[in-house]
Amino acid sequence: MCLSAAAWGQTKITGTVKDEAGEAMPGVNVLIEGSYDGGSTAMDGTFSFTTTETGSKKLFASFVGYQTFSKNVDLIEKNISIEIVLKESVNQLDGVTISAGSFTAGEEKRRTILKPLDIATTAGATADIAGALNTLPGTQKVGESGRLFVRGGDGNETRTFVDGLVVLDAYGAAAPNTPSRGRFLPFMFKGTSFSTGGYSAEYGQALSSALVLNSKDKAEMNQTDIGILSVGADVAHTQVWNRGSASGKVQYTNLQPYMGLINQRIDWIAAPVSMEGSGAFRQQVGKDGMVKVFGNFNRSTFTLFNHDIADVSIKQRLDLTNNYNYRNVSYTQGLGKTWSMRGGASYTFNQNDLTVQSLPIGETEKGVHTKVVFENSPNEKLNVRMGAEYYDRFYDAYQFNSTSGFSEKIGFREQLTAGFAEAEYIANKHFVLKAGARTEQNSLINQASVDPRFSMAYKPSIKGQFSFAYGLFRQSAKNQYVRTNTQLNPEKAEHFILNYQLITDRKTFRVEAYYKRYFDLVKYVNFDASQLNNAGSGYARGVELFWRDNQTFKNVDYWVSYSYLDTERDYLNFPEKAVPNFGSQHNLSVVYKHFISALKMQAGVTYSFTSGRPYFNPNNDKFNNDRTPAYQDLSVNIAYLPKPNLILYFSCTNILGNDNIFGYQYANTPDANGVYASRATRQAADRFIFLGVFITISKNKSIGQLPNL
Amino acid sequence: MKTITFLFAVILSTQVFATDSKYIEQMSKHIQAVYAAETPEQYQDAVNAFERIASAEKTKWEPYYYSAFGWVMLANKEKEATKKDAYLDKALAAIENGKKINANESELVALEGFIHMIRVTVDPATRGQQYSGMAFQLYGKAVGMNPENPRALAFLAQMQMGTARFMGMSTNEACETAKKSLEKFSNYKSENPLAPQWGKGMTEGLLKQCQ
Repeated sequence: MCLSAAAWGQTKITGTVKDEAGEAMPGVNVLIEGSYDGGSTAMDGTFSFTTTETGSKKLFASFVGYQTFSKNVDLIEKNISIEIVLKESVNQLDGVTISAGSFTAGEEKRRTILKPLDIATTAGATADIAGALNTLPGTQKVGESGRLFVRGGDGNETRTFVDGLVVLDAYGAAAPNTPSRGRFLPFMFKGTSFSTGGYSAEYGQALSSALVLNSKDKAEMNQTDIGILSVGADVAHTQVWNRGSASGKVQYTNLQPYMGLINQRIDWIAAPVSMEGSGAFRQQVGKDGMVKVFGNFNRSTFTLFNHDIADVSIKQRLDLTNNYNYRNVSYTQGLGKTWSMRGGASYTFNQNDLTVQSLPIGETEKGVHTKVVFENSPNEKLNVRMGAEYYDRFYDAYQFNSTSGFSEKIGFREQLTAGFAEAEYIANKHFVLKAGARTEQNSLINQASVDPRFSMAYKPSIKGQFSFAYGLFRQSAKNQYVRTNTQLNPEKAEHFILNYQLITDRKTFRVEAYYKRYFDLVKYVNFDASQLNNAGSGYARGVELFWRDNQTFKNVDYWVSYSYLDTERDYLNFPEKAVPNFGSQHNLSVVYKHFISALKMQAGVTYSFTSGRPYFNPNNDKFNNDRTPAYQDLSVNIAYLPKPNLILYFSCTNILGNDNIFGYQYANTPDANGVYASRATRQAADRFIFLGVFITISKNKSIGQLPNL
Repeated sequence: MKTITFLFAVILSTQVFATDSKYIEQMSKHIQAVYAAETPEQYQDAVNAFERIASAEKTKWEPYYYSAFGWVMLANKEKEATKKDAYLDKALAAIENGKKINANESELVALEGFIHMIRVTVDPATRGQQYSGMAFQLYGKAVGMNPENPRALAFLAQMQMGTARFMGMSTNEACETAKKSLEKFSNYKSENPLAPQWGKGMTEGLLKQCQ
């Protein structure tokens, strides 16, 4: 009686769970949906349980890292036997990703090469994003510029995007031959993706490189931060509410006292002074929407004397005022189960007003970029992205003509309408393919274009993977050329990249080879700067190595980057194909960070080496055939945390005081002996020493600056 | 008519009672198991059981709480960072499901903070800033929701202790919180037979460092 009652209404389900390779899987959860009934598989992958459920029910089998198996079963009081094969989930943390050309910092759970914090803690970078990225392979150090020169490309071939929206004039104003700093602080961003080629169809108007910065989400706590620096001071406050946050920062920088103390090779009348303010606002909207607003302004001024090369006693006074404004509004929103959208607009205003010997000259650039992107991911294997963009850019330059007594103006307006579509297909844990295209319609030349982009990755084992990327890229010529000839075509480049990457938890090895073809580069007609066409061309090819290890030595994290570059181009005033002056053949960086917890300190050392750069010596016949001495720099930094909310920071670049020469400038006309006088372009000072005290005031005393160390 | 209504009510209530007693009986059994577990296999079995119960009981937060707890323990046992993160992702997903049922449960919020704290241990230098801030916020929120929750105070004390020791500073603040936590553990009473009971050892361990 009891026995039959127990058997009545019960179904026994048995079976085994295996993976795709046929290996038995223990610990898999097998269950009947909506019931208590089920069990875990044993060591040999078998399971067995009874259920009192009847009718058609769903049976699930799940295990971490695998796609959940589901099957309808008819429970009809009979024994059921099921063989289950679980497939590995394709988007796992150690799954295949396309790594050709890109360095991603962020998405901290993924195994990434660079962490967001690295940017702030790299010695020699002085918390400048470009400074830190210059220690990665693919970049060529151009010490007098401070910008990112990527794979034989000029500094303006790298474009900066914040939350997907373009930033015009992303670097601050700097005196001639002194490095400029990026306009955005690394702490603003949760993720940085630096691509040295082959990037997604989403990013246009960038010939060599895309620097994609993703701003932080809602702040977590109220706090006030105060910084007292050897070159100024800043104060910031963050206010948090239930579903949003707002923060603001003002910074005043004055290099006058510092430059009074440390002898400079620049004849300053008034050293750079700048006032800067920024604000950020975050608000969650609805279930998964997020609005981000960011804005900053900057006003900087300086005055100096430029000395004549042939006769240093002849000097020319130069006054500069730079006004800069950047606004960015972006919105992300989920749309149902598989769709999502993001969109936004950015506005840049940049104005340089100079007086050269009290003659006014200057330029203004204003630009709007709007973008909307829709993404659909119907399953974990497929992701489709499409978007539309509109750029509207005004550029004006003026120059006072002392003969006519009038200010002459020259400028242009460029409107671009762009669209892109891209699909990523993850076939399995080993293979991913991405293909897309970008179209652009340019109002100035009334021309439409289509640029294909393609990339793929193959990961044969859990650690190593191969990637390949190809793409066609275009970028409008520099403003100074378009204003002379508005009918210039965009400059173009084609990238081919092959990459191998081996990553374990705490070690990374990476090697990348590439070939880049430049065409339609701007070229002077008969050496006449007022007549421009697109007859220029060039190439760049190279091999790059990267090794990072924070495992072998306790509390030590170090990386080594090496880039080999072979490049030539025939553009602008070049009489023939030659290596441009920013194209150095060998670049090496060694970055070392040591965390000394007993002393509550982090110390860092960065060594950089750049082989001699070409320059044109008019006393020699061959163009760009001379080479500067090699560049070497050893920089150090120390961060010390005496209290959780207090950080003391010291950094010094080029501590050995190497006299680095970036190039030579020559007089326009030869002297009486037929020799062109020259002057070396050197660092403004051998070293740059920086001291800072940073204080955080918040309700939570235990956090403060601790995370920043 | 009245009788019928009465009978109907009795039948209904016994049914509710019947399922609830099955729920409590099953939960109690597996809660014992997860507290007693030592090997990853034992934790996985317990987690699987809680996930099954959660699939049947759509209005109970406890199965999600305990499966999250099990995932956290699995993460603690795991050495490889990517796997650790995968377990913590599972734990967080369980907490999210639990919060959909009861958004005001202090225990869920406290455990969520603890998940972030474990996240920090994978890569303290990189993750400290983001995740320790999140953990701190959630501990504060959990204490606010239920000042009697001894675990929320225990987590908070642990965090304060870690910072104080790292900085070589006074551990007074941490010890005060730990003391308070122990008091709450001693007086802890819950009408819920399935309420979490663990964590007293953690507080006692902290208090040992205070002497």
